[in-house]
Amino acid sequence: MSAADKPEETRADEKTLDADAKVDLDAVFEASRIQEVFDQLDHDLVGLKPVKTRIREIAALLLVDHVRRQFDLASDSPTLHMCFTGNPGTGKTTVAERMADILHKLDYIREGHLVSVTRDDLVGQYIGHTAPKTKEVIKRAMGGVLFIDEAYYLYRPENERDYGQESIEILLQVMENNRDDLVVILAGYKDRMDRFFESNPGFRSRIAHHIDFPDYRADELESIGELMMNEENYHFSDDARQAFSEYIERRMRQPHFANARSIRNALDRMRLRQAKRLFEARGSITKSDLITIQADDVRASRVFDEPVDGEAGA
Amino acid sequence: MAQTIQNDKRYEAGVIPYKKMGYWEPDYQPIDTDIIALFRITPQPGVDPEEAAAAVAGESSTATWTVVWTDRLTACEKYRAKAYRVDQVPGNEEQYFAYIAYDIQLFEPGSIANLTASIIGNVFGFKAVKALRLEDMRIPTAYMTTYKGPPTGIVVERERLDKFGRPLLGATTKPKLGLSGRNYGRVVYEALKGGLDFVKDDENINSQPFMHWRDRFLYVMEAVNKATAATGEVKGHYLNVTAATMEEMYERAEFAKELGSAIIMIDLVIGYTAIQSMSNWARKNDMILHLHRAGHSTYTRQKNHGVSFRVISKWMRMAGVDHIHAGTVVGKLEGDPNQIAGFYDVLREPHNKQNLEHGVFFDQDWAGLNKCMPVASGGIHAGQMHQLLHYLGEDTVLQFGGGTIGHPDGIQAGATANRVALEAMIMARNEGRDYMAEGPDILQKAAKDCKPLQHALDTWKDITFDYTSTDTPDFVPSTTTSV
Amino acid sequence: MRITQGTFSFLPDLTDEQIKKQVKYCLDNGWAVSLEYTDDPHPRNTYWEMYGQPMFDLRDPAGLMMDLEECRKTYPKHYIRVTAFDSTHQWETPRLSFIVNRPPEEPGFRLKRQEQEGRKVRYTIDSYASDQPEGQRY
Repeated sequence: MSAADKPEETRADEKTLDADAKVDLDAVFEASRIQEVFDQLDHDLVGLKPVKTRIREIAALLLVDHVRRQFDLASDSPTLHMCFTGNPGTGKTTVAERMADILHKLDYIREGHLVSVTRDDLVGQYIGHTAPKTKEVIKRAMGGVLFIDEAYYLYRPENERDYGQESIEILLQVMENNRDDLVVILAGYKDRMDRFFESNPGFRSRIAHHIDFPDYRADELESIGELMMNEENYHFSDDARQAFSEYIERRMRQPHFANARSIRNALDRMRLRQAKRLFEARGSITKSDLITIQADDVRASRVFDEPVDGEAGA
Repeated sequence: MAQTIQNDKRYEAGVIPYKKMGYWEPDYQPIDTDIIALFRITPQPGVDPEEAAAAVAGESSTATWTVVWTDRLTACEKYRAKAYRVDQVPGNEEQYFAYIAYDIQLFEPGSIANLTASIIGNVFGFKAVKALRLEDMRIPTAYMTTYKGPPTGIVVERERLDKFGRPLLGATTKPKLGLSGRNYGRVVYEALKGGLDFVKDDENINSQPFMHWRDRFLYVMEAVNKATAATGEVKGHYLNVTAATMEEMYERAEFAKELGSAIIMIDLVIGYTAIQSMSNWARKNDMILHLHRAGHSTYTRQKNHGVSFRVISKWMRMAGVDHIHAGTVVGKLEGDPNQIAGFYDVLREPHNKQNLEHGVFFDQDWAGLNKCMPVASGGIHAGQMHQLLHYLGEDTVLQFGGGTIGHPDGIQAGATANRVALEAMIMARNEGRDYMAEGPDILQKAAKDCKPLQHALDTWKDITFDYTSTDTPDFVPSTTTSV
Repeated sequence: MRITQGTFSFLPDLTDEQIKKQVKYCLDNGWAVSLEYTDDPHPRNTYWEMYGQPMFDLRDPAGLMMDLEECRKTYPKHYIRVTAFDSTHQWETPRLSFIVNRPPEEPGFRLKRQEQEGRKVRYTIDSYASDQPEGQRY
């Protein structure tokens, strides 16, 4: 790329600065427009404090790296392959999407798109099928982020002829040789990821950032619920809010609880009940009726019928 | 309001104004199957523009100068063309745009001769108008599909030639007249080997005493094949099969086919029917058909009278030619950039949107007819490459005749200069550079690896043809006239 | 001789950086890019061998460059070209095609003339290299 093609803010690093020159970090930060992403992250994602902290650290690293290059201070561009561990619904995919955006804004990756896959997208059914499949996915992800959900399924020790191994080897090679071309994020349950790394030390050594996504607390889930409702132009009546809070307490103690995902599903069912209630009442309705979720819409859930240690269902 | 005289009075013997005979229908809403013609009318002093428009509608459809009772043997309301709208031409008090709708059943399917016999027949000599120009036509899909269109089209031409992503390069053999077949083939070989894709017979190279057509065809095909072997590229020469009779044209076309030519050419002066016949022949024989627009300026150039080249472009795409000369913007021949953009759109787009700035008055769907490759020819050279690419785009043939053969280091060098300039410009454009602004710089850089280009740039650096165009659009972006 | 098929054959061979920019242009236009190779560059040899399927849904040229590197390793002396396909209605054909690898020596083509009646000649073009069996040509 010739100098003329580069955006204004990055053209500076073409010429080396004097040793005693001063660089305005604020200006560099401003130019990267990264604050927008942080703000969006804070607005959209409740909690996740350790995750957000780590993202800020990575951003700082890349910004400083940028400035170092202006002084011609040689260093390899940092490895940014990551591993996101945590239970379902803790925001791993959402954060991966934001991460792609951030890395793009900081010029670490060229495109900023996310290609999200699982084992089935990478591993074939017969001999000779896996390599083209894995490469196809890698090629699509080039310039962006490759997100492999439940990555441990790639490795099946019980079957020594499993084609997953072939995919793993190609991935490892690309993670090493094409660090400038894509960022790989593995994701899944923490315990299983740990076991996966024990059997695949090559992966562990190529991953620089392990980020653990904690389960949400009840109050965080409530905020998430409110946020989701507002996005869809709904809101809780005061009674309903109380009911929702109780709902969360009970649901968290039931099996198959999947954090924000369970909340999303619960809200969808509340909307269903609200619609049914409005429809059955007939007569005229107001805008306020249309946007309000009532306590009954919440309490009709089976979560309230069952003993808290009982079977799943909502 | 329509003031058509009804029934019994309408058919009393005598002369009544066209307006009152049913040719002026301001309330008429054209239907989807109507053919619409837009005329620029300059009425005689004292003639009401609506009456003039009605007269044009009448004379180009059913009317004669007096009332005829035999009208009443027909469903004459259907056959009457209807002038339904008259607008003053912006900035011109003498001229008016008249919109006239014709029922589809007035025309024979698939016949340009029939279409034009009505639309530009007697009416152009009509005394009530001082001057008359056919500006544009809207051809309905129902009528469009009765035409076969270009036998090859831009897409298939590119596939056959295996040339993608850049304009094609051509040259017309010069001098136009006097070369023997043997000497003629030399020019063709040099130009093709140097890097051009096509060489072309000129419009008036047919079969003259200095070079019999068979002689030319034989030497040219030797040159084409030799150049193909020398470069590994598909090459061609437009063999002009224009002749006095259809029989002779077919004979020449057959010979071109026997010799393995990929392309033949005809001149516009052979006439619409002959063009359609040759198009059928080309379709049957996998031949690309090039049309040289010889003669068009006699009726397309003056703004007040004749037929706009935009309409000729439409007719020729319908009649079915694969190439047509359509202007260069920067060269030696008439051509306003906006008008030419309009011609190129008409030839190349699957669907034209109304674009008054480019002189395109109607939305026009091409109903899947192939695209026709516009050819830019006349006074262009390598130093203008950025402008040519900017104005004319990628799907065009750039013909550098003098700009190849007149190169100080010879014909091959001239061809190479053009090809290098073109490829460098395409590369720069694809890389996202502002090639219009950086054009001269891009060419100078490319010339560092290519002496012939350097010499071309040095030789023609000051050559421009900066004259005012006569055929210009009437609408500029700031105009608020609603059309 | 130098075969001048493809869009940029009259320029010096493209560097990888230049190839990337052209591929980027294709991807930004929504075209699928593909690699094809051959040791029979006859001008009418339309169907070069495909090095894998055309790459749909790529965002960045690095994907193609990875395959190109492999392809060059496997066929260092073959002609390799990048072709970009446009699926837009009434295009549905390549929109750009250019050579990205060529053999060190290009022997070129023989023009065979078969004389016929009336001074007519039937021409055949033959690659000198294709006298050898496939795989041993360059």
